[in-house]
Amino acid sequence: MKVTQIVEAVLFASDAPLKAEEIARADGALDEDVVEGAIRALQSEYAETGRSFHLVELAEGFQILTRGEFAPYLERFDTIPRPSRLSGPALETLAIIAYRQPIGRIEIEYVRGVACGGVIRTLQDRGVVDVVARGEGVGRPLLYGTTQRFLDHFGFRSVEDLPRPEELPVVLRERIPLGAEESVAAADAALEGTSHAAMVDAPAADAP
Amino acid sequence: MDLSYAHSPLLAREDFLTVELDRFQGPLDLLLHLIRQQDVDVFEIPIARITDQFLTAIKNIRADQLEGAGEFLEMAATLIRIKAQMLLPRHEGEEDQDPRAEVVRRLLEYEQIREISSRLQSAEAERARRFGKGFVPTRPRPDPSDTPFETTWDEVFEAALRVEMPESVDRRHTVASRSVAMEDKVVLITGRLADLARIEFSRLLTGFDDKMHGVMTLLAGLEMSRRRELFLRQVAPFSELWLYRRAEGDETPVSEGRAASSEEPEMPRGMRRRPSWMKPEEPEADDPLGLLDEATDGEPAFTQIPSLHTEEPETP
Repeated sequence: MKVTQIVEAVLFASDAPLKAEEIARADGALDEDVVEGAIRALQSEYAETGRSFHLVELAEGFQILTRGEFAPYLERFDTIPRPSRLSGPALETLAIIAYRQPIGRIEIEYVRGVACGGVIRTLQDRGVVDVVARGEGVGRPLLYGTTQRFLDHFGFRSVEDLPRPEELPVVLRERIPLGAEESVAAADAALEGTSHAAMVDAPAADAP
Repeated sequence: MDLSYAHSPLLAREDFLTVELDRFQGPLDLLLHLIRQQDVDVFEIPIARITDQFLTAIKNIRADQLEGAGEFLEMAATLIRIKAQMLLPRHEGEEDQDPRAEVVRRLLEYEQIREISSRLQSAEAERARRFGKGFVPTRPRPDPSDTPFETTWDEVFEAALRVEMPESVDRRHTVASRSVAMEDKVVLITGRLADLARIEFSRLLTGFDDKMHGVMTLLAGLEMSRRRELFLRQVAPFSELWLYRRAEGDETPVSEGRAASSEEPEMPRGMRRRPSWMKPEEPEADDPLGLLDEATDGEPAFTQIPSLHTEEPETP
């Protein structure tokens, strides 16, 4: 039996992302490097043979997923209600937490300008954020961070996959946090030719 | 008030924003909207105009909406403070410290968050197009009531004919009323004690082959004892029970004093026997049926009740 077959069998049977070290548990002869080599071999094999699924790196692990172009066919089987997409306020709050983690509720609310307690609870219920630490200040506030589920939900390999601020087409580029005066001038320059209203429909950050 | 913004399309339809305040996710959202709507430079916010527009937008917030509107009011207060600061003459050293800077910073930060949110949304949608194992549900079990009933009556009838009917067994169950009356036993005991001074309990059962006779005889004995019509005597547990005639006013069994002590129903401990129904698992050593109810040589003999040794299941 080949290592690639063993790795494939484990990944095939799993319905959640598995880390390389978890896959390595399948056999004493396996270690992380061997597993990753096998995964690369499987990835190119699937690509070359035109399979309807691919082996993606997801949420710090690996999982076999169907390719996006088959969604229309598979969605016909969608009889089990799937968790709905996150709402606008939830996404905003989640974005703040993702980029500033660990972060407390008060700071989140200052950035959004509105109370966020309920939204944070929703995000916790959905399992995409969790309390990761307690702050130093008065009352040792709860600090929130994102979870593996967050990475899985958005198809990120790790938090490094989050869109980088410098990639953002808007106004700001690397202007958080802004010092009052110099920022005004610098951001002014950045503003040239950029419409504030333009919300760029960014391509999805996708795992390869 | 400054009329320079009187031509603003927003103010021309003053109530348009107040109605839709719910649409905005907070004061920053509203502020961004106002700024974009008029295509003004974020870094050169005409603070007076924007403040007035902001106030117009929120002026219809009702007292009962304050919980959700507090954030808007706070922002309004901030804007008013900035507006006031802008009007005040500034000292030389403070010239570059624009009072709007903090609001601008927050606006820009918020806008960035909005951009990131929209990217997250795209990523979420893209991720949702790819499925892992277990997405396609297992085939649902068809509802039995939806399944057409394809069997015809002929088939049912045919099947019925093939069934071998079991021989009809009489499954009737009769519940007999209590067949033995305690009163009969009272009469029996009274009759026997008329002839004898005392009698063994087992002897009273002679000739009756139903456990119920034993029960009723005992109850009758107990009842008569309660009515002070006889004495009950038993020298040891499970030994023979004796019933003694009792005359009016008697306080002791007749045998006391009168009868010889040898006639007392004494049994050695080792010879004690118990009725089989009291401990059926203990096999009787002797042949119980061989025992006679007649006492030989004057000694009271234990008498078995024949019917108690049958193995028949009890029937109510």
